[in-house]
Amino acid sequence: MKFLRRLALPGLFWLFVAYMFLPLAVMAAMGFRDSNFVAFPIQAWTTQWYREVLFDRDILASLWLSAQVALLSTTISILVGLPVAFLTARTSGLLRGALVALVVLPAFLPVVVSAIALRIFIGRIGLETGMLAIAFGHAVASMPFVVVMVLTRLNSMGQNMADAARNLGADDLIVLFRIVLPYLSPALLGAFMFCMLLSFEDFVRSFFLGGFEQTFPVLLFSRLRFGFDPGLAAISTIILIVTTGFGLYAERFIRSRRLGRDTSLSATGKTND
Amino acid sequence: MTRLLISLRRFALYRGLLELYGRSPLLRLILVAIIPVLWIGATNITPLFQMVEISFYDRYPVPQGEPIEWTGRHYATFFERPLYITAFLRSFIFASLATIVTLIVVFPVAYYISKAAPKNMRTRLLLLVVAPFWVSEIIRSFAWIVMLANRGAVNSFFSLIGMPGTPFDLLYNNVSLTIGVVYLTSLYMLLPLYAALEKIDDNLLEAAANLGAPAWQRFFRVVLPLSREGIVAGCTLVFLLVIGLYAMPQLLGGPSNTLFASTIGQIFSKAGDSWPLGSAFSIILTGSALAYVGLFVALFQRKRRGRAA
Repeated sequence: MKFLRRLALPGLFWLFVAYMFLPLAVMAAMGFRDSNFVAFPIQAWTTQWYREVLFDRDILASLWLSAQVALLSTTISILVGLPVAFLTARTSGLLRGALVALVVLPAFLPVVVSAIALRIFIGRIGLETGMLAIAFGHAVASMPFVVVMVLTRLNSMGQNMADAARNLGADDLIVLFRIVLPYLSPALLGAFMFCMLLSFEDFVRSFFLGGFEQTFPVLLFSRLRFGFDPGLAAISTIILIVTTGFGLYAERFIRSRRLGRDTSLSATGKTND
Repeated sequence: MTRLLISLRRFALYRGLLELYGRSPLLRLILVAIIPVLWIGATNITPLFQMVEISFYDRYPVPQGEPIEWTGRHYATFFERPLYITAFLRSFIFASLATIVTLIVVFPVAYYISKAAPKNMRTRLLLLVVAPFWVSEIIRSFAWIVMLANRGAVNSFFSLIGMPGTPFDLLYNNVSLTIGVVYLTSLYMLLPLYAALEKIDDNLLEAAANLGAPAWQRFFRVVLPLSREGIVAGCTLVFLLVIGLYAMPQLLGGPSNTLFASTIGQIFSKAGDSWPLGSAFSIILTGSALAYVGLFVALFQRKRRGRAA
């Protein structure tokens, strides 16, 4: 046991860290290779790829599409997720169970199946493949996560604050905008970033719903299948750094324990629920 | 905002609506429920039903002016062609194996972070490991292509140390696919495992040690049973993830080892005529995957109850 504690476990841990980071580091290094081919060893180095990819039209267009899709789908899923969370919070027992099951259903389907089902659906309602369709698909996929995060926060809120506001003469809309939404804001911020990341890294839905419009992961996929150069490693590395930074920053809002934690304001409200 | 909402009260119509809203529980319920019910109905339920419906169509889209012909032949196709059944079985075996490998790889890591590492380091170590969580499937595949290709990092390293026989064919087979898939799924396994292991009271381990349980017994009789929920959650998550993988098997896997999800995807990227077939296959995949996972979860839960009784 002593051996296990002292050496084997830390060894396995750091081996795992290497497993996680080494391929990414190797890819980042490949972006500096002064050649048209992705291959080792790297004999001549250049920063040209990292500079050039920032002006590659196709890549820029795909990134712009990804950004639009991410923003639109996140907006939709939060606007829909909020009322869904409110409704779920009001139900109880079997009804609540059924509702939650329906809400989280998309998260449990195999991704390919869910993407194809949505492809059939948009065909039937007459929505063309493209930016709107992708955004719709991403909104469907990320809504369950919004609901779960908002619900976690709602559960810690209690009734007292809203009741106090009502006693002071606030109507329900004022309570919603001045009490409930501000209280939910950490969860909403967390959900916002989570959905942005989820949308930005999604491949399968974008692939099936995008038609000829390619988000960044779709573009990367097609280039990986039909010939690629170190420039692709460079842009992948840039994206990887941006999303990882964004993800690490978002992490502090996403973790459910923090969302459920009471602030001093709500501590009194806890006894009521 | 408040001021705006208060000044709105000057209008009789707005006041009346607020009044009505306050008085009528039914209206309140409708207002709260209308968006959720419509959205969930439209996005979470309807597409699945449409898929079931289309899977029984003879052809889709239905030619204009012709009646819909209903048929079960697309389901029959699945059982008639060994090609499809093989891909289906291969998918389930591969997903199960990948899940087990992920569990074995990740468990010591989760255990180290939650129990064995110095207490003040644990959060930082966890953060370090989950940092690449948001790197997308495609970029992860690319990274492993650069690693394992014939002129990739690993082969280059092998030839550098003078190993005979380089380059090895490391890419485009089940091993490279497994390496990539575990690379993708391990963080989904890590988080539930960590959450479960973290909850285990250190006193229990100490008590077991004091009562003379050797390390392996403490592991199998204390740690493993108490982390069961995390294991079940992680395995469920990972299995469902792997069974639906579409891109990575095409980028890292071999051409002769098609998985069922790719089969379905390829059916759909062809002309509309084969959509009913793809729908039928999708239903088969979803039904079997959920049943498989449900069985797995049920088995574990029953075991736990049996032990507690």
